[in-house]
Amino acid sequence: MWSYIVRRLLLMIPTLFGITVVSFCIMQLAPGDPLLIQLGATGLAGQTTQTREAYLIQKRDLKLDRPLLLNFRYFRDYSRAVYWAGHYRAANESQIAAELAVLAHDPERLPKGQERLAFLRSLGIPRFRTRLEDPAEHGRLAQAVAAYVQVFCEDLGHHGVPFAVRILQSRDVDRQDKIGLIHALNSMVVEPFVFTYSAHPREEETPYVVGAWWLWWRRAESTTRPLTSTERAELESRFHALCQMSQNQLLEELDYLDPQTVRFFAEKLLGDSTLREKFVASLALRRLVREPLRLDVPADAPKSLVDEVAENWMAHYQLYRKRYEPSALLRVAYVFTDTQYAHMVWRLVTFQFGRSATKTREPVATKIWNAVIVSAPLMLMAELVTYLIAIPAGIIAAVKRNTLTDRAISLTLFLLYSIPSFVAAMLLLLFFCYGDYLKWFPMIGLHSEGAENFPWPRYLLDYLWHAFLPVMCLSLFSLAGLAMYARTSMLEVISQDYIRTARAKGLSEFTVIFKHALRNALIPILTLFSSFLPALLGGSVLVEYIFGIHGMGRLSWESIEQKDYPTLMALIYIDAIIVLVSILLTDILYVLVDPRITFSAQGEEK
Amino acid sequence: MTAGQSYWQIVWKQFRKNPFSVGSLWVLAVLFLLAIFAPVLASNIPFFYHDERGTAWPWFRALFNPEQAVDYWFNLAMVAFFPWLFGVVVHAVRYRRRYPGKLLPVGKYAAAYVLAILGLACLLMIPGFRPDNRYRARTFPEEEFARQGRARAVYPLIPFGPTEQDMDSPVKPPFYRKPQFIPNPDTEEQVLFWRKSNDGFPHILGTDDVGRDVLVRMIYGLRISLTVGFVAVGIYMVIGIVLGAIAGYYGGFVDILISRIIEVIMLFPAFFLILTLVGLLGQSIYIIMVVIGLTGWPTVARLIRGEVLKQRNLDYVAAARATGATNFRVLFWHVLPNSLSPAMVAAPFGIAGAIITEAGLSLLGFGVRLPAPSWGLLLRQGSENYHYWWLVVFPSLAMFITVTAFNLVGNGLRDAMDPRLRI
Repeated sequence: MWSYIVRRLLLMIPTLFGITVVSFCIMQLAPGDPLLIQLGATGLAGQTTQTREAYLIQKRDLKLDRPLLLNFRYFRDYSRAVYWAGHYRAANESQIAAELAVLAHDPERLPKGQERLAFLRSLGIPRFRTRLEDPAEHGRLAQAVAAYVQVFCEDLGHHGVPFAVRILQSRDVDRQDKIGLIHALNSMVVEPFVFTYSAHPREEETPYVVGAWWLWWRRAESTTRPLTSTERAELESRFHALCQMSQNQLLEELDYLDPQTVRFFAEKLLGDSTLREKFVASLALRRLVREPLRLDVPADAPKSLVDEVAENWMAHYQLYRKRYEPSALLRVAYVFTDTQYAHMVWRLVTFQFGRSATKTREPVATKIWNAVIVSAPLMLMAELVTYLIAIPAGIIAAVKRNTLTDRAISLTLFLLYSIPSFVAAMLLLLFFCYGDYLKWFPMIGLHSEGAENFPWPRYLLDYLWHAFLPVMCLSLFSLAGLAMYARTSMLEVISQDYIRTARAKGLSEFTVIFKHALRNALIPILTLFSSFLPALLGGSVLVEYIFGIHGMGRLSWESIEQKDYPTLMALIYIDAIIVLVSILLTDILYVLVDPRITFSAQGEEK
Repeated sequence: MTAGQSYWQIVWKQFRKNPFSVGSLWVLAVLFLLAIFAPVLASNIPFFYHDERGTAWPWFRALFNPEQAVDYWFNLAMVAFFPWLFGVVVHAVRYRRRYPGKLLPVGKYAAAYVLAILGLACLLMIPGFRPDNRYRARTFPEEEFARQGRARAVYPLIPFGPTEQDMDSPVKPPFYRKPQFIPNPDTEEQVLFWRKSNDGFPHILGTDDVGRDVLVRMIYGLRISLTVGFVAVGIYMVIGIVLGAIAGYYGGFVDILISRIIEVIMLFPAFFLILTLVGLLGQSIYIIMVVIGLTGWPTVARLIRGEVLKQRNLDYVAAARATGATNFRVLFWHVLPNSLSPAMVAAPFGIAGAIITEAGLSLLGFGVRLPAPSWGLLLRQGSENYHYWWLVVFPSLAMFITVTAFNLVGNGLRDAMDPRLRI
């Protein structure tokens, strides 16, 4: 018994793996870049810097910049690719177009022409070869190159940083290419330095925060005013007070700081102090210093500025060395774990579904919960109606086999079986709600207007009045199937020997049917229980669509319609998991209820 | 079991005992003929058109160049129908004379029909054989009307096309006939309202929101429904039978792998999965068919697998192996034909299900696109305003009849094939 259950649980692991694979494949099928679609951008050109940044952060959040299945990026040498990326980031579109014109005919005329061409080809611009042949296309192709180089940098992410920094250090790179590389670095890394702690400061953050400020202080120390001892004493007491404040008070109080007192906070942060003090000091400094470190340069920056920024990037690389050059073991591990698929599996397994992609950015979990509490009661009623009607109907038909009653019940069931639920829903709406014929029931929704103010008996009645037709439609189809199943299983039991024995003993027909036959006939019906829970939580897309009920089915439809991929993914995954669990429960229940089933054969022939 | 009777003959004998099933077979035959002969029943392209410039046969040319690819195959079926029927009748008479009392090989006749259609399609692929549609942009009803009295045309039974719009008569009830004259609001004078030669014909089942004839759209929609049903089920039967047979026969690792795949796909709610895939891949009748096909096979595969597992331990398999047959031959020539019955029972139900699925997708706006005719699209138009009851009732009725017919055939087949269930 237990070994059977354990075996079933073990079999669930490959199935779960399969579920994630299917979900992943479905997400990959989505045409275009789902994130770009949801930001409403038509292309790279039409975006402001802000939407671009939001897009990037989200992309990195969902790890969509990683390779799909295997990540060999830590083992690749990107130095040439990064160099050319920098080169094309620095050039404007007319320069690129001019270069393309040369590359199209005689690549050898440019230094390293073949290498440039190879890099441009590797970007994956659609129809690159044919477009390169056509001089009229070069203008638009140059635009595409600029956009694709940016995407290349963004997708390469932090894997490009070591190479970029190394090239920046070398002397034989001209100023323009250095500027391009700095642009490329800015695309690769969002927020290179952290200047403040997170909301719940941890000791591990200290080296990064302190490191960033230290870099700033090294340059800024000479320009700040030294403090007198009275000032210092006053600031000390004030600082002490700041450290005692709550978060909100603190943020408010920081607005009143004097910009002249920067030195004090810098010394506090860089000196020997507690975590709380460092936290407060970093917040204060962030408030007082507008731009501590320059990380981006304009296109016509002087050499001194370029060198300063390059130095900052080098410092960044030094500070985050652990991330850029992980140990060999980690590199091997990252091949499998730092991929889109692995990250998706992790999100699914830990039930982190994130936020929906619609304008409201609601958390997916809330969205699903709101839908479940609408459709679950409805489906529960539908299931109850189904079981309460179908099983008696099936049993009556079986007991009165081949009589007029049996024929009538069977025929009705068969006709019900042939009516699709949405057709039934539309016909019922047409005849009972619309008012051209009868107006017995409301058209859409589950509550009348202002129902929240009703006393509860009226609220309940109102709900039942609204729910009557949807419940009917939801139960129609499964009702017919279940009743037919009940009939067959009852017939099978009635023809068994032990029923004949019971009759021969002289038991009354009632006892034979309800005490001997019914119990055994219900066992096969238990298998249908596996569809109970999924139906309860899954809702019905079509019926909910027609009756305007905002339940699970409607949510699935809306998320497909609005290309809300996070919600869609969560729905698919949750549905599959629920089915998996309910099949497991049913199997176990089945084994528990029916002693004739041997445990050993279950796994083989099921 | 009498000697000389094949399994399918026994099944057919049993099947004939059920009057409902035989009746529904007739209903299906009528539906098929309706679908095949749709252009004869309804089209706004005349068979024959004559004016002072000469005579044209636009209907025949349009037959080979329809707007919808589905229509092309059905039109070929129509062209091939009568030669095939003639051949079948001649063959049947000779067969009866030679083997009195034997049943006719229905399956072979059906295969011959399919081959005839495919042959015709191949023939028409040869350049120059396929009549071009040089009347593509011409609208004959309007032309004929403009040349009143000097032009002659012969139309099919119902002179409306499946996509022909008439903005003057949107959402009109059944049996609506356009008034010939309407009063001019300024002068109270009667002005002519008819603009086309087919304007005088009544819309038997009304019109939709842009004045397309509902009956004609339903007839052409039948083509789409039947195509989706048969092709989708065909796809998943083939996949399911092959994979199920391999899993059941070879067992071991292959079986574990295929069983896991079956289990995984069956975990996803079917309609939601189809809806998602169609929503992501795009709307087209082909994508719908393929998606239904790709999501439906696990049921069939499971049935076949179970049956093959039972069959492979029987004596005849050992006998076949003893004669030196390869595994492949034993499986596909000996075991599989004996294991097909559960899948065959599932097929008609599957077709009914696929038809319902297609209509549901179209109703939700993820199915075929306007202006292609589909029952689901009619229902969608009806669901926007229930005042137009004919847009709801008639497609519902058509769907109910079709689905019931397929279900009844499935029921009869199940009773005939599985005596255990016939209680």
